[in-house]
Parts: sequence; structure tokens; C-alpha cells
Amino acid sequence: MKTIQTIAALCALSLVVLVAAACAAPVTSPQPAVQTVVVQQTVPVPQTVVVSATAAPTTAAPVTITFWHGYNPVETKQLEEKIIPAFEAAHPNIKVQDQAVPYDDFHKKLLTAIAGGTAPDVARLDIIWIPEFADLGALAQLDTGMSDFNDLKGKVFAGPLATAAWQNKYYALPLDTNTRTWLWNKEVYDKAGISAPPKTFDELLADCAKIKSAENIPCFADGGTYGWAVMPWIWSSGGDITDPQLTKATGYVNGPDTVAAYTMLKDMLDKGYLDKGILGGGLDTSGGFAKNTIGSLLEGPWIPAIFAQQYPNVPVNWAPMPAGKGGSISVVGGEDIAVFQQSPNKDAAMEFVRYMLTPEAQLAMAEVGQMPVRTDVTDQAIKSQPYFQYFFDQIKTSRARLPHPNWPKIESILTDAGQVILRGEQDPQKALDDAAAKIDPLLK
Amino acid sequence: MPRSARIFSNTLLYTALALGALVMIIPFLYMLSTAFKGQVYVLEVPPSFLPEQPTVQNFIDAWQSNNFSRYFGNSLLVAVATTALSTLVSAMFAYAFARFNFIGKNLLFYAVLLTLMLPNLMLIIPEFILVKNLGLRNNLIGLVIVYLAFSIPLNTFLLRGFFEGLPRELEEAVLIDGGSYWTIFSRIVLPLSTPALATVAIFTFLFAWDEFTWALTAIDDPASRTLPVAIATFQGQHLTQWGLVFAASLIAIAPVILVFITLQRYFIKGLTQGAVRG
Amino acid sequence: MRSLSIAAPTSPPKRRHLFLTPYLFILPAALLFIVFMLYPLVDAFRISLYDWKIVPGANSPFVGLDNYTRAFQDDVFWIALRNTVLYTVVTVPAQMILAMLVALALDAVPRGRVFFRVLYYLPVITSWVVVSLLFKYMFDSTEAGIINYFFMRIVPVLHEPVPWLREAGPALIAIMALGVWKGIGWSMVIFLAALQGIPHELHEAAMIDGANGWQRFWNVTIPLMRPTIVFVLVLLIIGGFNVFISVYLMTGGNPVHRTETMLTYMYNESFNFLEFGYGAALSYILAAIIFVISFIQLKVLRNPVEV
Repeated sequence: MKTIQTIAALCALSLVVLVAAACAAPVTSPQPAVQTVVVQQTVPVPQTVVVSATAAPTTAAPVTITFWHGYNPVETKQLEEKIIPAFEAAHPNIKVQDQAVPYDDFHKKLLTAIAGGTAPDVARLDIIWIPEFADLGALAQLDTGMSDFNDLKGKVFAGPLATAAWQNKYYALPLDTNTRTWLWNKEVYDKAGISAPPKTFDELLADCAKIKSAENIPCFADGGTYGWAVMPWIWSSGGDITDPQLTKATGYVNGPDTVAAYTMLKDMLDKGYLDKGILGGGLDTSGGFAKNTIGSLLEGPWIPAIFAQQYPNVPVNWAPMPAGKGGSISVVGGEDIAVFQQSPNKDAAMEFVRYMLTPEAQLAMAEVGQMPVRTDVTDQAIKSQPYFQYFFDQIKTSRARLPHPNWPKIESILTDAGQVILRGEQDPQKALDDAAAKIDPLLK
Repeated sequence: MPRSARIFSNTLLYTALALGALVMIIPFLYMLSTAFKGQVYVLEVPPSFLPEQPTVQNFIDAWQSNNFSRYFGNSLLVAVATTALSTLVSAMFAYAFARFNFIGKNLLFYAVLLTLMLPNLMLIIPEFILVKNLGLRNNLIGLVIVYLAFSIPLNTFLLRGFFEGLPRELEEAVLIDGGSYWTIFSRIVLPLSTPALATVAIFTFLFAWDEFTWALTAIDDPASRTLPVAIATFQGQHLTQWGLVFAASLIAIAPVILVFITLQRYFIKGLTQGAVRG
Repeated sequence: MRSLSIAAPTSPPKRRHLFLTPYLFILPAALLFIVFMLYPLVDAFRISLYDWKIVPGANSPFVGLDNYTRAFQDDVFWIALRNTVLYTVVTVPAQMILAMLVALALDAVPRGRVFFRVLYYLPVITSWVVVSLLFKYMFDSTEAGIINYFFMRIVPVLHEPVPWLREAGPALIAIMALGVWKGIGWSMVIFLAALQGIPHELHEAAMIDGANGWQRFWNVTIPLMRPTIVFVLVLLIIGGFNVFISVYLMTGGNPVHRTETMLTYMYNESFNFLEFGYGAALSYILAAIIFVISFIQLKVLRNPVEV
């Protein structure tokens, strides 16, 4: 009797507390019970522009919008303590409920939410997801939905802006950006007798030879052959994956310049200039850099914060990516901000988007290391984080990875091809020919 | 066995056990030492097990971070509720399989076995749509209900085996005296089954406490967030402060160890007997 | 376990009561199970028959069994299947044997059982995510990784560091090591309890008959533990086939899909490539394989009377 009583008591108690917790919790999903059926495909809904031309709120009824993001705890704090209160003060009838989603699972959570019709009103999305979600019909078109879109469009960097478009329509606006630029270890370079970082591929190879012979360490390292890693090399060599219209890969991904890029990387690996970690199995390359076992890296603007805390004695020196035949071209990273088609509060959501692109909001996030996308606040941002200078310079020529919904599959093919080449299992031309054949059908 | 030989063999055994235990806990030692270090964004190779300037800041930061205690509380609530309810409900289910005949009994049991073998991962999207349509999304009650469903197959399988092995005489005696099956169940069977029940309890608690994927998918509202999801948000896209993550993970392990130690004397015996009968 | 044969009195009210009772007992669990487990599972099967689009209302063409035939023609599917089977075939016996050894040792020592039990069980209760990360770190490919360091300096059997997670073979070994490490405690605890349930008299009787330790182990211990062993075997095999997070976090299936397992492949197809229909088909193929194996095990290995 005792056993059953114990279990029953526990059950009853749990149920009571659960119900109490559920009732006491603040208003959960702000979305009303009525779910609108999602319009499929990318046909823009012929909605006549019923948008607030200025900041004056159109709706009198108070509205709560949900904003999902992958900000880390420090960035989230800034968002919740500075930005959202400022927005809510300027728009008394709009409340913003933000939700930090673990970055690694963000994509999956969004997909499930879209499938279930519970997508947020607005979200900060990785730039590479925009074509995919736009193609699914999950995002609202901003160029037709926001009357001041062209105005905003003109105020942001071109590279990041390109990531917000799909089939010549804009489904997002850039929110924050970053790129990779050349991080070089002065001690390693000094020891090899190199006074300045390489400006061209030729200089790079010469410097690598010196570093190798003087210290027997690689002059460069990266974590793999995925897009983020190889695109700077491909583009700087003058190559690309597809033609500008994204119709075919043959002739491009297996074109002479792209092949030259991979050949160079393979050569560097064989000579010990490129760390073997590019084949996988290595840990964070910044650790090696800090210990003077790697000469240079292509890194992003999060490095100064990390080094300041963990390796305070390691100097951080930046330079532009060495230029190849195509120039010094790096890859654009960052996030865009988008409104979901399922949202019943699109106007309010777009207000928030607008606000996030104001100088105040952009600079507030710059304080915690998020590079702004507005071209007119770069000077102030640099005052707040001096190292931004190098990244803003590099961004001028940085390009976005393939803006196509099938990018995940294409990247997978490219990654595999890179591995096979670097491991010496296939020669670059053959491997890239095979890749081209696989990528072509995906571009239809 | 002569005393000296026994001492020798015991020493040998203890040494072997200790070495094995060391292998078991080396990763923890590293986790522990990192948790006591300041700013660790990059795990260093080679590792240093002893922090140079040990600090408890990570633990403090983890606990005080944005509502951590609330998430801890949510997880505790969900885990306890799931455990209590699942134990009861699975026991009833298992008892029916062990003692009764009813329409569809074999089919149902094979269905239970089948779900035991399937990866829950494949269920996520259909489950999400279902749960959303029933209004059970984004709240703790819905979470408990889904966890209950997920835990029933294994618990039932275990308990059925155990119940089958119990002597029927006691139950039949109650029937003769005019008692109901519920009386048998609650006054005879359950008390005799505390070992198996404790087993089921710890399995379920561990599952509910650590479950991540479904909690992440179903819950949006930060007020209803559970601990594993909260710890995952400490991991940033570009920067992760590992000391903080490990400290938080260690805080998260504590209740489970506690439950294990408390229940383990029952747990051990119970598992055996469930296993013996299968 | 002889049951008394007593004719149960058969007054009609009791009969009706008896009829309803089973259904009342199964009601809560069956309801939860059918609604929240079976229904989504069946729905997942339905999804596997379509080129399923995730957005509600989008057109998802019916493709019948195409997703299934596609799997059988897919190279990566076969690699994933091979790796999954390999993983299971290696880790399950390893876990069981090591767990048995530890259980035997713990059964024999006079003190400290609880202490060791907790230590060996710690890996079991830690999250897969955390331990996968720690193992990834320990199996670093340079000589500074703990494992390489150990085998190069402390027990010098290697001249060069092993590129653990960089090459498929060593990576699989590392992943399996994690699986075994994490699982030993679970089986150990079960075996230890079973061992402690064997009456001493049986061992003593065998000793009197002149049996030594080894003979006693095989002729007394193992037969008495047989149901336990079968039980553990079934569950471990299910777990082995379901390996996911460790692979996902340690190698991601790389290089070039060579360490892919069924679930990492399914997950990637579903959530990265948005091929949900295909992913669902992959899950069902995996489930079918597990079901067949488990079914055979239970039929063949269990004593008939217990099925």
C-alpha cells in the first residue's frame, strides 16, 4: 500500500505543480490560435503595400512579436538590455520576445517550426540559409513589403546584401557581417626573417618556404575543405563554382583557375606549408597559432576577444588575404534578419527589422563584437573595436557563397572533392570534373 | 583460500579495478579541471589537468546566468513528474501483459517492442505537428506527456518480465477472498516490485533529465526551457567558453548521481530480476 | 512456480468486471503510446512514401517506394550500413566482456562496491554531447592529444601520432572506444546484480565436486545468468545500431562519408538536405533491420517458456 501511495502522491503533486507552472508562466507564444495557411512557392502575394511609411505605428492594438536568434550569452545580454528596451520605448504597442536558440541546432529547429506552422515572426538567420528558406516559401519578401526598402538597401555593404536575395527578390536584410582575413604570427614570421605578411600568392609560397626551413612548421592551417575554408582560395585564384547566373558548374568549378587553386593547396600540403588539420581530426587552429606552431590563419573578428581572454600575450596582427590572379577575395559570413511568411504580425516584425538596421542598434551590437552592415557607421564602429578596420577593408571585396537553395548539397560535393584531392586520391582536374557533373543537375 | 593468497588476489583485483576506474573517469578529470579554470575558449593540447589559478567563477557564472535556476527547476519538475507517472502507468500496462488476456494483446506488445527499436529521431517532425495540433507544444505538461510516451516501451518491457516472475499464489489468494485486481496490483504486486520499480525510475529520470532534441524542438518559450537546452545556449557560434559549459554540465550531473546513489540498492536487484525473466 | 488450480467462482458481475479490468489497466499507457508513439511512427512511414516538402500546404509528390530503392542504390547508404554493423559487432561484445570482468572483480572483493559502482557508472549518466567533445579532444591527431601522448611516451608503442579522426579506420576505432567506455558501466551494474543473485550454495557445491574457478564460471555462473545476458545483448544491439551523436560530433561522418552511420546519414539527409522522405525511408530500413535481428535473438536465445 505504501508503494502505490507514494507513487500516487508523487504523481498528483507533479501534476499540480506542472499545471501551476504552466499557468503561471508568462504569456507563451504570442501567435494567436488562428494559423494562416502558408502560401507556397515564391509567388509574391499581391499585397498592396499597406506599410507604415514612417515610424508611426499603424496598429493601435498591442502586439508581441517573437525574435529568434543564435546570439551567445554576451550578445544576448546586449540585445535584451539595450536594444529591445530602446525599440519598445520607440514603439509602445510592440513587445519583442526574444529567444536564444543554440546555434548548432538553430537550422533544425527552424525547419521543424516551419513544418508545424510555429515559425517566429522575425529571426536572425545565417546568410547561407536565406535562399533555402526563401525557396521553401517560408520568408516574406521585404523589397515589396517595406516601402523604404530601397533606401535601406543603399545603406548596406554590397557583399552582405547579396546574401539576402533569391531570384532577384529580397527576402531579408543584412544584420551583421564578418569575413576572414589574414591573421599572421609576428614571432613566427620574424624568426623566419620575414618582415611583412605576403601580398600575393607568390610571396605567400616564398614565405611558407622560409618558415618551413627555419622552423619546420606550417605557415597556414584550416579546419577542412568546406565552403568557408576554400572559397577565398578559389575566388582569389580567379575561379568560381558556377557562372554568375548559377546555371551550370561545368567550366567553372572544373575550370583552369579553380583547378589551379586546388593544385596550389595540394602542393602546399605536400610541402608541409599547409597543416594536415585540413584533412580533419585536428582541433581549433587558434590554439596552434597561439603556441607558435602555425604561422598564419584566415580568421574572423571573434579572435581578438578570445585571445584577449585566453592568450593575452599573443599579439594579433591582421593583413589582407594574399592576392592571387583574381585579387584578394575573401568570403562573407554573418547573419541576415528576415520576417517569416507565417507571421501574423509582419508589419510589426518589419518595424523591428528597420530598427535593427538603425545606426544606434548597429553600433550597440558592435560593442559586443558584431560588425555592422551599414556603411555609414563603420568609422564609429572602428572606434569601438579598432580591429574592425581590417575586416571592413577585406569586406569590400568579399563575396557570398553560392546563393542557391541547394547549397548544402553542393557544398557537400565540393567538400568531398577537396578532401579527395588533398589526400592525393584523385588529381584535381578529375575530381573537379566529377564534382561539376554532380553539381550541374542541382542548379536546375 | 589461505589468507595470504586471498590478500594477494584482492590486491590484484583492487589494482585492476582502480586502473579501470581511472580510465573511466579521466575525461571527467579533464572536465573538472577545465571547469575550475578561467577563460577557456580553446581546449589546449597538451592538456593540463591542474589549473594554474583555480577559480569557482565558472560555477557561479553558470548558476547565476540568465534564469539557470529556473531551467534547473523546470528540468527537475519534468523529470520527477515523468518518472512518477511513467512508473505507474507502465506498471499497469506491464501487469496487464503479464497477467491478462485481451483483444490485440500480442499485436500491442509487438508494437511496443518495435518502438523500442526505432530511433526516436525519425519521429520529430510528425510528432511536432501532432503535438502542436493538440495544443501540447511549448509547455511543460506537453513535454511530460511526450516523455511519458517515449519512456513507456522500455519500462513496460522491463516490468513485464519482472511481473511474470512473481508467484501467482498471492494474487490468487486475494481473488478468492473477493478482492479486485486493483487491490492485487496496489497491495501485493507493487510492494514486491520495489527493485524493478526503482530500476524503471532511474532509467526514466535519467532520460527525462538529459533529453535534449525534443525539448529543443517543442519548447520555444524561455520560461519553459529545460536544462540541457540552456547549457547548449552557452555554446556560441564562434566562441564557446568551455569552462562555463563544463561547469554547467557538472551542475547538471549532480542530481542524477544523487538519484542513482539513493535508488541504487533497489535498482541493482530490480534490473537483475527484470532481466532474469526478460 | 506451480500455481494452485482453483476453480474461480463465476458469478456474472465478476465476469463483467473481469472483462473490463485489463482494458482499464492498459488504458492510460496504451492511449499515450498509440497517440504519441505509434501514430507519429506510422506518419513517418507515410512521409517516406513521398518527396515530402516541409512547408504546410506545399505539394509533396507521391513517390511510392522510390525512396527505398534509392537507398539501395546509394553508395553512402551501404557505407553507413557497414559502419553501423561494424560498430555494433565490435562494441557490444567488448562492452559485455569488459563489464562481466569488472562485475566479477567487484563481486569478489570484500569492500568498496558502491564506490566503484558509482565511478564506473559515471560515463553512463553523462550526456553524449559532452563526452563526444571530450573524446574528440583526447583523440587529437597530433602528439599532444592525450591518447597519442600516452601511447608515445608512457607506454611507448607508437613512433608517430595516429591521425585519429582524420582517417576512417582510426576514427572508427576512436568512436568505438567512446561507445564501449560509455556503455561498460550500464552492463556492469546489471551483471553485478545478477552475480550477486547466484546462491553461494551452488558455487560451494561445485567446489566440493572439484571444479575450479574457470569451470565454475562456465558451468554455474553463465547458465544462471543466461536470461540476463540475453536481455543485455538485445538492448545493447539496439543501442549500437542507433549510434548517432558520438559520430556526428566527432567526425560528422567524414572524411568523405567514410565514417557515416545510418542515423548520421538519415539526420543529414533530413535536416541539412531537406530530403525528409528519403530520411524517413532510411529510418524504416534501419528499423526493419533491428527488428529482424532482435526478433531472431529473442526467439533463438531465450528459453521457450519465457517468450
